[in-house]
Amino acid sequence: MLESRQDMLCRIDEVSFGIIDLTLYLDTHPTDNEALTLFEQYHSERKNLLKQFEEEYEPLTVDCVNIENSEHVGSECQYPGQKHFHWVDGPLPWEGGAA
Amino acid sequence: MWNYEKRLQYPVNITTTCPKTARLIISQFGGPDGELAASMRYLSQRYTMPCKEVAGLLTDIGTEELAHMEMICAMIYQLTKNMTVEDAKTNGFDAYYIDHTAALWPQAAGGVPFNACEFQSKGDAITDLHEDLAAEQKARTTYDNILRMVDIPEVREPIKFLRAREIVHFQRFGEALEKTKDKLNQKNYYFTNPEFDKHVPIAQ
Repeated sequence: MLESRQDMLCRIDEVSFGIIDLTLYLDTHPTDNEALTLFEQYHSERKNLLKQFEEEYEPLTVDCVNIENSEHVGSECQYPGQKHFHWVDGPLPWEGGAA
Repeated sequence: MWNYEKRLQYPVNITTTCPKTARLIISQFGGPDGELAASMRYLSQRYTMPCKEVAGLLTDIGTEELAHMEMICAMIYQLTKNMTVEDAKTNGFDAYYIDHTAALWPQAAGGVPFNACEFQSKGDAITDLHEDLAAEQKARTTYDNILRMVDIPEVREPIKFLRAREIVHFQRFGEALEKTKDKLNQKNYYFTNPEFDKHVPIAQ
């Protein structure tokens, strides 16, 4: 179990990177079985992590939006306890670490 | 069609204000070998690429380049978000500040605005793939130059990631070029444009 929002985002970055790199490799080697197996592993882990991230914090893609989960307090939520479009929650990706 | 994902491809967490560094790395946003030119190059070339797998690769690499452009922009933004007028004056950011304040605008390190002449979409698979191979090396050289100039670790880490991606893209484009050559008509000894000349058709 990943402890913090940061840890979970870091793992999402890692598995998503695996998928991007494997996608390019598979574009030129579409029948490589080892790469296909790895792709499936990363793909299923990413799917689960994106769902879990939406449930605990906020959705990272519009496909992850589940309005039923929008009332819980995620990160940077301006409408706590209120049904809302929680795609607007969370920090902007380019804000980074600086205050 | 594209979808946005609300995260950077690789984390960018810069806590130092340094407009001078921002003025250097902005070349990888709007400069001749920057990420904007890279994504537009591949996403423009793909429509007429005769080999379907290569057109698919151009789409996927062109898409990744958009994510790289976002990383570079995030770095410039974070290096300048807390800058004072004094910082802008003393750090080689004064001329840029006059026209753009701290906003992002695509230009080269030398101040030349982004221009589509910085990339080619020539309509010949062999020509375009050679352009792409060269483009990846030019971007890699630019990242090497940035790494020689910049010593802020929080800037170097994402730059090193981007540099490594140029090498991977070069490798994939090399495979795409070989794949295209393999499919050329065997009588096309001189690689006459397989994208347009119908007398030298390409095998699908």
